Amino acid sequence: MDSEAARRRFYEVLWPFMPVVLRTAHILCGGRSADADDLAQETMLKAYRAIEQFRPGTDARAWLLTILRHARVDSLRSTASAEGTLRLDDLPQEPPGRPETSELDRQVVGENPEVLLEQFSDAEMIDALSRLPEEIRWTLLLVDVEGMDHKEAAGVLDVPVGTIKSRAHRGRMMLRDKLLPLARQARIVKD
Amino acid sequence: MDSFQPEDERWEQAAAGRLAMLRTMPVDTSGLAKALHAQIPQPARRTGTTWLSLRSIGALAASILIAGTLASVFIFITMSRPALASPAQMARMHEELVAGMAPAIQVDSIDAANKVLAGEHPQAPTLPQVPAEHVMACCMKSVKNTRISCLLMKQEGVPVSLMVARSQDMRAPSSPVTVRDDVSYHVQASGGLNMVMTERHDRWVCLIGELPAERLIDVAAQLKF
Repeated sequence: MDSEAARRRFYEVLWPFMPVVLRTAHILCGGRSADADDLAQETMLKAYRAIEQFRPGTDARAWLLTILRHARVDSLRSTASAEGTLRLDDLPQEPPGRPETSELDRQVVGENPEVLLEQFSDAEMIDALSRLPEEIRWTLLLVDVEGMDHKEAAGVLDVPVGTIKSRAHRGRMMLRDKLLPLARQARIVKD
Repeated sequence: MDSFQPEDERWEQAAAGRLAMLRTMPVDTSGLAKALHAQIPQPARRTGTTWLSLRSIGALAASILIAGTLASVFIFITMSRPALASPAQMARMHEELVAGMAPAIQVDSIDAANKVLAGEHPQAPTLPQVPAEHVMACCMKSVKNTRISCLLMKQEGVPVSLMVARSQDMRAPSSPVTVRDDVSYHVQASGGLNMVMTERHDRWVCLIGELPAERLIDVAAQLKF
């Protein structure tokens, strides 16, 4: 494919999803705009260089998000290497089993968790997400934020559908554990 | 041992719903777009260059003359008519804005939105003041060469788009009309979205969202021009 055709395909097929890539990068980077811009830019450039591998008629958004995921791993690796203090294995990993939630916490959240969740700003939600393990965060980003079905998300993350289901469930429970202390601190809920 | 409780299920649904709202979070794509354009120049418009015989050049010239005449007549007829605001098209514009698929600029007030839109095009229709909970993003759209100022905002936690054009450039489709305080509102629905269109102060205004049409009319009635 010549350069003109590549650019044409890039702008026609991938460009409309650039805001999705940037938004996902923004959430992944915990709301840090400069980091998100860098990550999204790297993703779009990688996608452009690999545009010949994109099969017309397939899901461009999923393809871009797969590239974003690889770019994110590369970025974490290079940060770790530059700092010399962090290994990928040191990143928060999926905890074994389901997170423990006390009966008290369940009662605190109560019958209308929507009301509680509405009290949190987007920035607070992103902050809570950023404190989840990377793969759990990715799962919630794809399934809940982007609204992908389990099969699509499994394709992007290259894991079985069952893994996506269990990660989505565990991720939402972990999110509750992250948000409840904040809610207590802000006196949104009482002990 | 922790066991799954009904409260957990309610929480899961609520959390998924709250996270889905991040999908409507506007992001400022201008910096990224500029950086990418610098590295990946936009492709030139398609232009075919072929050698033609004199005879075919003559035939081509005649065709262009006829096509030009027909086009002039067509443009004369269509330019004098305002563009039709098709509900499906309006709904699609709203969905693109909500999904972050339209190149929009993040703003936090109507004044800021008007400033951005005026910077984009000096003749951009000015947005009226609106009683929104959050003003989120704005952009300029075009329907059949008619410029439309678009604003994404939140009303009762639900994304609602406000679209404004010059009233002489747009017309509402034939649809049920609700009259309130002597103002007519065309009420439409498309793909689960409600929309109301009205004309105020020489401006065509359309509000779109998942709110009931009555609530959209409430909002439209409070617009300050």
